[in-house]
Amino acid sequence: MTMQPTTYQLPSNEDVAGLGTTPIPAGPYYRDDYFELEREAIFRRTWIQIGHVCELPEPGSFIVRPIEVANASILITRGKDEKVRAFHNVCTHRGTHLVAEESGNRASFTCRYHSWTFGYDGALRSAPDFERFYVDKSDCGLRPVAVDVCAGLIFVNLDKSPAQGLGEFLGPIAEQLETLSISRATTFAEYVYEIDANWKLTFDNFQEHYHLRFIHPRTGAGARGPDNPFAYPVKFDFYGPHRTESVWSNPAADRLPIQQFALGRLAQIAAADVSRNSSHAKDVFFLFPSLFIQGTPVLPFVHSVMPISATRSRGVVRLYWIGEDDNATESFAREYSMAMARDVHAEDRVVIEAGQRGLNSGALEFIHFQSQEVLCRHLFHAVDTMVQAHRAGRGAAGVVA
Amino acid sequence: MSTTNFLLPAGFEALEPFVKFWAVAGATARAQRRNDCSEQERAAFYDTAKELLAPALAYLDRKPLNKFDEKEKRLMNMLLSLAHVVQAVEVLAQDEEKHAEARRHMKITRATADLNS
Repeated sequence: MTMQPTTYQLPSNEDVAGLGTTPIPAGPYYRDDYFELEREAIFRRTWIQIGHVCELPEPGSFIVRPIEVANASILITRGKDEKVRAFHNVCTHRGTHLVAEESGNRASFTCRYHSWTFGYDGALRSAPDFERFYVDKSDCGLRPVAVDVCAGLIFVNLDKSPAQGLGEFLGPIAEQLETLSISRATTFAEYVYEIDANWKLTFDNFQEHYHLRFIHPRTGAGARGPDNPFAYPVKFDFYGPHRTESVWSNPAADRLPIQQFALGRLAQIAAADVSRNSSHAKDVFFLFPSLFIQGTPVLPFVHSVMPISATRSRGVVRLYWIGEDDNATESFAREYSMAMARDVHAEDRVVIEAGQRGLNSGALEFIHFQSQEVLCRHLFHAVDTMVQAHRAGRGAAGVVA
Repeated sequence: MSTTNFLLPAGFEALEPFVKFWAVAGATARAQRRNDCSEQERAAFYDTAKELLAPALAYLDRKPLNKFDEKEKRLMNMLLSLAHVVQAVEVLAQDEEKHAEARRHMKITRATADLNS
């Protein structure tokens, strides 16, 4: 049996030096031309998480999600056959956005413009005066989008013929994600933010702990300890374009009274349900391009950073829970956990924007990552490999060396 | 004052002065109350509610959430407001006012407690 070390052991610089030690060019974090390459090389051809199956609880359920970076709106449906399908939310008559609502339940979708009506399977069911058109109904179905599910999370790929299925894209991480409590979530809390910052700069903030003691001196105090003053992780792992870290738990964390009560209650609920046990409960997953998943069933949240422009992004944070609030205590504990996570992310947002303002000046040719910021370095390499392949006209299509 | 005038269930009279401001429905409104109160107001609410939190939750836990009467709903909403105020009093302390500006950009769009009724 392997004993858990009682004191923190820093991952060695040698463990991560294989990813390089050179400075990283600053341009990709603010330049419009690089963002345009990312748009084509990555976001139009990579699996992007867009929702959770708990939002499609029954036949007829649907959600609509924007993907601004691709100027796309995606309609996702659950059919009577229980199958989850995705389509461009675009009427095939003249391109009108078909569904205006963000979610709901319907047997069919009717365009407000000329009343073309589509089924949950995307087929054009009816269109007024259709005999006057010069096209077959069978050619007028909604344009499908590749969709698949892992750990309850719905992913889409805007490539008409994705080079990889979702399972191949996620690799060994898919199996790990399926063990997490989010895979069985039935509800969620959510907060969102917009930020004047590049999507990589934003996401990088959540990929390193170096900033924690300076930006979260109070909200992150419990994560630090005398032998790990920066709250660094205990381990990093790399899986193609994805990466994980194993977080360090401070055994002597000094919890505050009601904080202790709320988090203790969530821990009790999680401990009482063996299905929430996971050997990856202390892992954080960073899925390419910009999806953060925290494994712990006590605070199980998913944080998606969606690019809008080279220097603007939107963050969506969801705390995924199994079951509706069962009683007052659970309601209180869940509300507290949302307030707690939101406070931390609020602090992050401010300093990320400050970083973007500095980079936008063009003052820096390079930025620097230390060994404990290796996950940021790994993301840049994954992005740049695809961008350079695309630029060279080889179409990287999701393959990262 | 007759008990019929009380806004909260019996046993939680100490929280009556806080009902008007803190017993609000919706997580967005509760988070906003945290922003709108003074340091003295949140300290007074926290100091009083802290001791009553466990008994109040135990009292409310006896009933399904969707069966609460009006007094119980008020008590629940107050405790949910406390969930936000805890962060201000226990964690942020003197940094709370500066932090409020940072929080303004974090829009709560869904809370599980708001799905209960």
